[in-house]
Amino acid sequence: MSHRRRDDDDDDEDVEPEEDEEEALDEEEEEEDEGKSGRKRRRSEFIDDVAEEDEDEEEEEDEDDDFYNGGGGGGRRGGHRPKRRSASQFIDEEAQVDSDGEEEEEDGEDDFIVDGGADLQDEDDGRRMHRRTLLPREDDQVDVEALERSIQARYARSSHIEYDEETTDVEQQALLPSVRDPKLWMVKCAIGREREAAVCLMQKYIDKGSELQIRSAIALDHLKNYIYVEADKEAHVKEACKGLRVIYANTKITLVPIKEMTDVLSVESKAIDLSRDTWVRMKIGTYKGDLAKVVDVDNVRQRVTVKLIPRIDLQALANKLEGREVPKKKAFVPPARFMNVDEAREMHIRVERRRDPMTGDYFENISGMMFKDGFLYKTVSMKSISSQNIQPTFDELEKFRQPGENGDGDMASLSTLFANRKKGHFMKGDQVIIVKGDLRNLKGWVEKVEEDNVHIRPNAEGLPKTLAVNEKELCKYFEPGNHVKVVSGASEGATGMVIKVEGHIVIILSDTTKEHIRVFADNVAESSEVTSGVTRIGDYELHDLVMLDNMSFGVIIRVESEAFQVLKGVPERPEVALVKLREIKCKLDRRTHAQDHSKNPVSVKDVVRIVEGPCKGNQGPVEHIFRGILFIYDRHHLEHAGFICAKSQSCIVVGGSRGNGDRNGDTLASRFSHLRTPTRVPQSPGRLPRGAPLDSGARHRGGRGHDPLVGTTVKVRQGPFKGYRGRVVDVKVDRHHISDNVAVSTPYRSVPRYGTGSETPMHPSRTPLHPYMTPMRDPGATPIHDGMRTPMRDRAWNPYTPMSPPRDNWEDANPGSWGTSPQYQPGSPPSRTYEAPTPGSGWANTPGGNYSEAGTPRDNSHAYANAPSPYLPSTPGGQPMTPSSASYLPGTPGGQPMTPGSGGLDVMSPVVGGDNEGLWALPDILVNVRRSGEDTVIGVVREVLPDGSCRINLGSSGNGDTVVALSSEIDIVVPRKSDKVKIMGGAQRGSTGKLIGIDGSDGIVKEDATFEVKILEMNILAKVAQS
Amino acid sequence: MFFHMVLERNMQLHPRHFGRDLREKLVAKLMKDVEGTCSGRHGFVVGITGIENVGKGLIRDGTGFVTFPVKYQCVVFRPFKGEILEAVVTMVNKMGFFAEAGPVQIFVSNHLIPDDMEFQSGDMPNYTTSDRSVKIEKESEVRLKIIGTRVDATEIFCIGTIKDDFLGVLGGDQ
Repeated sequence: MSHRRRDDDDDDEDVEPEEDEEEALDEEEEEEDEGKSGRKRRRSEFIDDVAEEDEDEEEEEDEDDDFYNGGGGGGRRGGHRPKRRSASQFIDEEAQVDSDGEEEEEDGEDDFIVDGGADLQDEDDGRRMHRRTLLPREDDQVDVEALERSIQARYARSSHIEYDEETTDVEQQALLPSVRDPKLWMVKCAIGREREAAVCLMQKYIDKGSELQIRSAIALDHLKNYIYVEADKEAHVKEACKGLRVIYANTKITLVPIKEMTDVLSVESKAIDLSRDTWVRMKIGTYKGDLAKVVDVDNVRQRVTVKLIPRIDLQALANKLEGREVPKKKAFVPPARFMNVDEAREMHIRVERRRDPMTGDYFENISGMMFKDGFLYKTVSMKSISSQNIQPTFDELEKFRQPGENGDGDMASLSTLFANRKKGHFMKGDQVIIVKGDLRNLKGWVEKVEEDNVHIRPNAEGLPKTLAVNEKELCKYFEPGNHVKVVSGASEGATGMVIKVEGHIVIILSDTTKEHIRVFADNVAESSEVTSGVTRIGDYELHDLVMLDNMSFGVIIRVESEAFQVLKGVPERPEVALVKLREIKCKLDRRTHAQDHSKNPVSVKDVVRIVEGPCKGNQGPVEHIFRGILFIYDRHHLEHAGFICAKSQSCIVVGGSRGNGDRNGDTLASRFSHLRTPTRVPQSPGRLPRGAPLDSGARHRGGRGHDPLVGTTVKVRQGPFKGYRGRVVDVKVDRHHISDNVAVSTPYRSVPRYGTGSETPMHPSRTPLHPYMTPMRDPGATPIHDGMRTPMRDRAWNPYTPMSPPRDNWEDANPGSWGTSPQYQPGSPPSRTYEAPTPGSGWANTPGGNYSEAGTPRDNSHAYANAPSPYLPSTPGGQPMTPSSASYLPGTPGGQPMTPGSGGLDVMSPVVGGDNEGLWALPDILVNVRRSGEDTVIGVVREVLPDGSCRINLGSSGNGDTVVALSSEIDIVVPRKSDKVKIMGGAQRGSTGKLIGIDGSDGIVKEDATFEVKILEMNILAKVAQS
Repeated sequence: MFFHMVLERNMQLHPRHFGRDLREKLVAKLMKDVEGTCSGRHGFVVGITGIENVGKGLIRDGTGFVTFPVKYQCVVFRPFKGEILEAVVTMVNKMGFFAEAGPVQIFVSNHLIPDDMEFQSGDMPNYTTSDRSVKIEKESEVRLKIIGTRVDATEIFCIGTIKDDFLGVLGGDQ
């Protein structure tokens, strides 16, 4: 019964808006509303207008003494009751009590509080007893008439209200407060007693009547510490507040500006009020961030019952229940999974099965937590959940879906989803399907979109041309085979073809990954474009080759929201790593080459087949080459976005290299290179010093990019890395990292090619970077040769390679090929000379002044030592180019010969800096002369000949025989402390000084001329002969 | 679907081929260049059946190459949505299987395979019905219906279904 009453009470409130003031009171006294509402209900049901009026008159009289009796309810009661009784003589008992209620509420607010409190016991008891018997039966019959009237009144009123609501905006505007209207004043009151203050004011008003010149008092739930009072003057407010304990009348009373008055009383509308089945997210606690579904809302208590996937550590729970000590692990949040009751029982956790009295559902109760179907039902405060902008992900929804539920079951989720739709979701031409209402499953096309309504053109016969449908009843529709793009959600940006449509879920086959993507139809738009979703983060794009933190490398095969999936360059097995942007060091964008199984060159875009290893049989174009590892794209390969990583040696080039369109593998390039070589000789003799185009065929076949030295152990002999041992990882990289000023030699000294061949081309590449060093060289020469002559020749003679000038250059320039070219190998006696780089030898005399101001030739020894290798008589084919020829004389010898080659070399070794300049020997320095088959002999350079060789007087003081030695045959004698030195490089080149100290690889030199102390690298210092 | 149609192409020929058999050289090169390629508009060029005419050659500056406009008849193959094709299965995985009908690659998703067929992993991954009477594995021949095509510059990719009447594995025990 009490239930019923409350319900009715609510109804009353709804239909009797004139009782505004009381409503506030009602809420205030919720605890007491048992008895009171009982009366209230009766009032509303049985109101007799006549009686009401009668009583009104009477009340007037009552008011005064009522007020003064206000303090003691008990005493007053006695006098009051009978009076009323007498007043209501002419109405029957029921109506009398009703009117009693009515009077209290409507006009008789006098004893309101008293009624709520002291009145309660006796009256309530009595009444309840009384009523219980009467109400069900007699009430209904006897008061049908009254009921009817009240209903009429209700409906008349409500219709009236409706009419009111239809007032236009203009009329509404007219109702806004103006200057003539009473003002609102903000008055401070005790915190938490705002309502009480308002009620007190009301009471006072009732008691005092018109004496009190305030119009209304308002307490707002959301505003603490203040109430509003409506009055014409501040003085009136002060007057009204005087004597009230809860109101601080002596504090300042502030006027609410007219403009803000409406705001005070306007109701804050909640954007989404919680209703059942909406999705929410938890804001706090263990379940923070978890998706939950609302199962019940208690608006009064501001509490919500939600359904969650439990995060419960059963073990911990069991421990706790058995009173065992549980080691507290703080940061640990148990994973979300469904509660398995049997499992819990196994762990001796007490599981009770209880029936919920309200819903009649059975719940499993485990230590106070309610479970049903594995879900946790939890009642939380509305404040601890967020209901705005919930975008449940697909996985989450999937989890929530119960086994029994089919696609239609989650209509609720649909509605939530729809609520989150952006504006302009539907566009003209979209294919849509109706998902709710009578027209469900009707398909059509969007014709026009208005606010909430979408006009669609249905695709069924016999229907009007267009139908207006609420947007919430519509869902986008796709058919299998449509090509679509995901426009929002986790896989935003991806495109693919629709494979299947399940309700409002679309399954898409991604274009790039060939994977299935499940998305909501809402998140998809038709599109013909082909992308893989996000394809780049920062500087890195899908399919880029990147260097990772730990020096490993790989191809980006997938770009996720904040990370990349990288297929690492490990040929044995596919290894995929998830890396963050910051873990990527750099993009590798070099055009390198490798050689395949049968030593054919492989370059990027060549089609190769894998003949060994796990991916044997796969075939595709090479996308990247790095350190002898190929990344091949095989469109038939589904994993790793089609990328396969393989060693170059386990692949075989199919259908010839791109560079030479010739299909029959054995490279036109090499055939043509024979042709080319002779042409080149007259044109660009400079190439020759770089050695080796003697057997270009062999060279071409020779290991390109993949130096045989890779993998061998080397020891760094000079420079800051002196003494370091290590494995050669990659020739190119080594050059950048260590070989700038370091001669690297293998432990097996027999074939010290590394320092020679592969380094050789470095030098020329540097030369052009320092035009001031070779001032006489025509800067234009290089580009002309490369840019024009070579490609033209190619075009002219090799129709199949119209596109490949860079490649041709490349071949010539490739250090790897030099390194491996066999011509260095066959026990050439002078090979020893490579071993010990002789800094600045042969070239020295010629340049003379030209080079004196040249950059800082840090130890480039090996580069230099190697560069002239072809000059060595022992090198086969070197002789014809021995640089005694006059062609080298004009201009800057040594510099120029390199020029032609340099353009091509630039391509691959642009990194090397200018500090690597050669050390040209200078007169007077002490050198070690190494001659084939002889021991090294010390000597003093007397003169540097134009061809780069030196005339040397043997003996430490230069009084021995005079010999001529090539630059490659001499070594600078490293000075010791307090030796006289000559500076071989840098701005001070040629000047002399005294070495006053050595600090690692730096020497401290006091210059003779300026007496300045300089710190210079040891390798540009040469000992000067004592004379 | 196959079409026999006339297409045109500008061919570049190296001067060394200039001579009596220039035309043959041109045709040979045309075949090499064109056959097996794919254009989004026409589909795959399967074969050249004849030359309509060879236009006047134009020498290109600087290279010596000569450009001939060549009109040729050829057979093209272009898959259409809704078309029924017979194809050979090339790969089977849990997401579905790939099949090839000539140059066209077709993917049949597991959603578009009848529900009674289940994926069996193993050495030879396959889709089998519960009674093992029908099996789709590599090298199987299937009849399928194309439900969607995606045309790239160099490739046509299709999605097919075998979830329909008269579609599925061909021959053998059926």
